[in-house]
Amino acid sequence: MIEWGNFLLVLVGSIVGGCGVVLLFSLGLRFAGPETDGRWRALGVICFVLCGLLIAAGVCLIIPAFAPFFASL
Amino acid sequence: MVALVIALALFFDFTNGFHDTANAMATPIATGALSPKVAVGIAAVLNLVGAFISTTVANTISGGLINEGPSGVLITPTLIFAGLLGAVLWNLVTWVLGLPSSSSHALFGGLIGAAIVGAGFDSINLSVLLSKIVLPAVLAPITAGLVSFLATRLAYKVTKKRQREGFRVGQIFTSSLVSLAHGTNDAQKTMGVITLTLIAGGFQKSNTQPEFWVILVCAVAIALGTYSGGWRIIKTLGKGITEIEPGQGFAAEAATTATILASTHLGFALSTTQVASGSVIGTGIGRKGASVRWRTAGRIALGWLITIPAAAVVGAIAAFVAGAGPIGIGVDAVVATVIIVGIFVYSRRSRVTSHSLAVEPTQFVRPKKRQKSKRPSRGTP
Repeated sequence: MIEWGNFLLVLVGSIVGGCGVVLLFSLGLRFAGPETDGRWRALGVICFVLCGLLIAAGVCLIIPAFAPFFASL
Repeated sequence: MVALVIALALFFDFTNGFHDTANAMATPIATGALSPKVAVGIAAVLNLVGAFISTTVANTISGGLINEGPSGVLITPTLIFAGLLGAVLWNLVTWVLGLPSSSSHALFGGLIGAAIVGAGFDSINLSVLLSKIVLPAVLAPITAGLVSFLATRLAYKVTKKRQREGFRVGQIFTSSLVSLAHGTNDAQKTMGVITLTLIAGGFQKSNTQPEFWVILVCAVAIALGTYSGGWRIIKTLGKGITEIEPGQGFAAEAATTATILASTHLGFALSTTQVASGSVIGTGIGRKGASVRWRTAGRIALGWLITIPAAAVVGAIAAFVAGAGPIGIGVDAVVATVIIVGIFVYSRRSRVTSHSLAVEPTQFVRPKKRQKSKRPSRGTP
């Protein structure tokens, strides 16, 4: 039996996860990368941190043992 | 016999490693985010670590695909041996051709072929084959390609041209994640095969976890394979399909990671290789001005189509010969060794090494302004 519902979940999850990481990192570069005037630097750093957290969530999916550690943060 | 199977399984693990280095490291090498040697080093370590992290996948190798137990075929070490031969030989052929084909499919194909010869068509669970392997194989690259396409568009919309160099740093993290995910998946397939062999040979009770030494040798074998670097496939994936810029590399890696994690979390076993290839094609479509070489993409797709049947045919032939008893197994081993050596000798005629893949750091973004605003390059007067 083909689980179409699960497949849809995978599709949505991949789009949210993949595009989320790229969007946050891009925004980080946009606001805190080279050729910025520094006014929005803090916002850029926040984007980088959020991107890092999203990747950390991905690590938790690979290594279940890490999940409690990140949850406690 | 059991020792022979284990040795062959470990060799398969090794080919799996160098076949799949490209999945994680082709794009960072292509964009110059990591030098080739450093990239394969990181991939090797993460594969080693990944192999130890979890052993949940290890049992899925026999998970219903080949009917076993009282109702179906009792898989014997001889059949596993024949199946592994099919997988190893097909992996080496695709490696010489530089095709990123799925090592898992080669393994499944080989085992299927061997099981058909050993026990007839009834031994194969067709619906499981379709829903667990064939369908994900079609859908996964499309999903990854779509995600990669969207992510590339996003990345290029949001950032200015000269900021895109920064994606190189991000690439290091995303590609590492792919390596880690690969280690948790692929090393376990071999662990599963060895455990299955030990159970079939009566050395281990059924329904038990893989022994520690099995985990250890599998982890080392895949790490060594990864470190030896499958430069041919890295070349195809990193440069053959489309020219990759750092922003694209990051988007493609993020798409690969997201797709693999989402699907393994929901219980779809899919091929890392196919996902990574889909991502690279997606990112090629996503950037304006980039072109995808559809001929190469078509060759890769063709490789995917014939991986299972081809490995199955080799596995079937090997199983048929091995059916003749110890002499047959000996013939199998000798012929396979000759073919493997032959492939290696052939491969030396056109060598692809880490040196031919090194990328100048400034290849993609011309450093006109950078020299003025940031650090001036050392050595210039």
